[in-house]
Amino acid sequence: MICENCKQRPAKVTVTQVHNGEHFERHYCEVCANSLHPFYVEYKHDPLSLHQLLTNWFNHTEQQPMQQVQKKVPLECEACGWSIQRFLDEGKFGCASCYNSFREQLPTVFKRLHNGNVTHVGKAPGAFGEKLAVKKRIEEIRLQMKEAIETEKFEEAALLRDEVRELEDKLAAGGEETHVD
Amino acid sequence: MSIERFLDNSISSWMAGDGEHSDIVMSTRIRLARNLNGYRFPLAFTEDEAHKIDQSVSATLLDANEDLEMNFSSIQIKDLSELSRQVLVEKHLISPKLANSPMTGSALISDDEAVSVMVNEEDHIRIQCLFPGLQIQEAYKQADTIDRVLEKELSYAFDEQFGYLTSCPTNTGTGLRASVMMHLPALTITKQMNRIVTIISRLGMVVRGIYGEGSEALGNVYQVSNQTTLGKTEEDIIADLQSIAEQIIQKEREARNALLKHSANTLEDRLYRSLGTLSYARIMTTEEAAKCLSDVRLGIDMGLIEDVDETILNECMVFMQPGFLQQYAGTTLNTSERDLFRAKLLRERLQKGEKTKTKGENSYDV
Repeated sequence: MICENCKQRPAKVTVTQVHNGEHFERHYCEVCANSLHPFYVEYKHDPLSLHQLLTNWFNHTEQQPMQQVQKKVPLECEACGWSIQRFLDEGKFGCASCYNSFREQLPTVFKRLHNGNVTHVGKAPGAFGEKLAVKKRIEEIRLQMKEAIETEKFEEAALLRDEVRELEDKLAAGGEETHVD
Repeated sequence: MSIERFLDNSISSWMAGDGEHSDIVMSTRIRLARNLNGYRFPLAFTEDEAHKIDQSVSATLLDANEDLEMNFSSIQIKDLSELSRQVLVEKHLISPKLANSPMTGSALISDDEAVSVMVNEEDHIRIQCLFPGLQIQEAYKQADTIDRVLEKELSYAFDEQFGYLTSCPTNTGTGLRASVMMHLPALTITKQMNRIVTIISRLGMVVRGIYGEGSEALGNVYQVSNQTTLGKTEEDIIADLQSIAEQIIQKEREARNALLKHSANTLEDRLYRSLGTLSYARIMTTEEAAKCLSDVRLGIDMGLIEDVDETILNECMVFMQPGFLQQYAGTTLNTSERDLFRAKLLRERLQKGEKTKTKGENSYDV
């Protein structure tokens, strides 16, 4: 067999590539093999995978060694039994409740992954969306109220205060009944 | 609707080659990741959970066919042969992860193949919209419509602080990944890609070669997508990607003009050599085919090559892949047989006016 690349020298090296789960074999001479595949390293995972990054961050950011950190953290998600260690190892959550179980630790992770961001600001599904809209509206009204007070428009401020109370009552009564345009 | 049409037809609507800036942007993809309350994520769930999720998501979407004015076909991944799965992966209709999953999962694919909803991939639901050219807004609108239909019936895992909860923390928040697939031969020839990749990565975006492995970009096709999903609204993510894509398009056009101005002869020679290779070669590896197809497409875009249609790159990049070749040949092929068959397929594709149908039931439409 001759080398697939130069088609001159005899093939002495077999290179196996895996692409989309399929194995490709290439046969090269030593010269071409060296120039095409200079590194004979077999990666078990991706060269630099997410879980490695996660583990490294925790080691760097927390000044204490890993074991001490673990003592402070809830060790397992109550719903699925996923441990924080497993999350760090695999770089994935086991279920939606993991977010709640590891809530305290997550901002550290998210900050690095999402350009310093730790809070969602995008859209929300129906019921949540309405709740969030009410909360946002309350904040807006409070700002208007502050302005009204500063400019001594107290009657207007009182009206706004009543509006806030009404919205807060609605929130307390449960998100389902609130309908905000 | 049978699975065969998705397998036999190598052309999806995203390959049509229309849409804005379609001389540089091959396609736009939007993906939304969603999970249901009350079930563990696919990494940790049981077959029983997988089955229940699959049933409720599939039923919800199939029921909505009329409202959406779309027709979805449900494909159970387990029912497919290994080759069929590979073909769907090569057409970007399902992911390798879903294709190889041991659990119950399915793909709901729209008739025009622009929308594919994967059930039980890394997340319970992955809504994917694939549009030709640069159409980020349009593709997002489509994905959002389907998302709204599903959320009416299904209870999504959502947290006020973290947004949509996903299996991987890189998707948490909006669960939105927007990406554009760009053909950037002139930036590659003029060695500007490394610099561009570095700059873009500082802006919360990623660039990678879409067909090659690692950083190698087969056929000079790159995918630019958002990295950040938390702390930015969907609209901002889309607007940022749009603006970066437009700037890259601008740079690629400048590089093309510079090539034409300073080395027109060398360029024309290179592009026509590639056309010659595609038209006459008898053995063609994926790498060589990708390089030649990229050259020919560049030649068409720059008006240097006239009698070949511009969909050739989009199409051939898909149907010269191992799964498609074997589907087309109707038999399994080893690596060297594939190289022979690939060369044959490309020669036929380039012969204008001649029918490109094979005997029997396997055919591809041009």
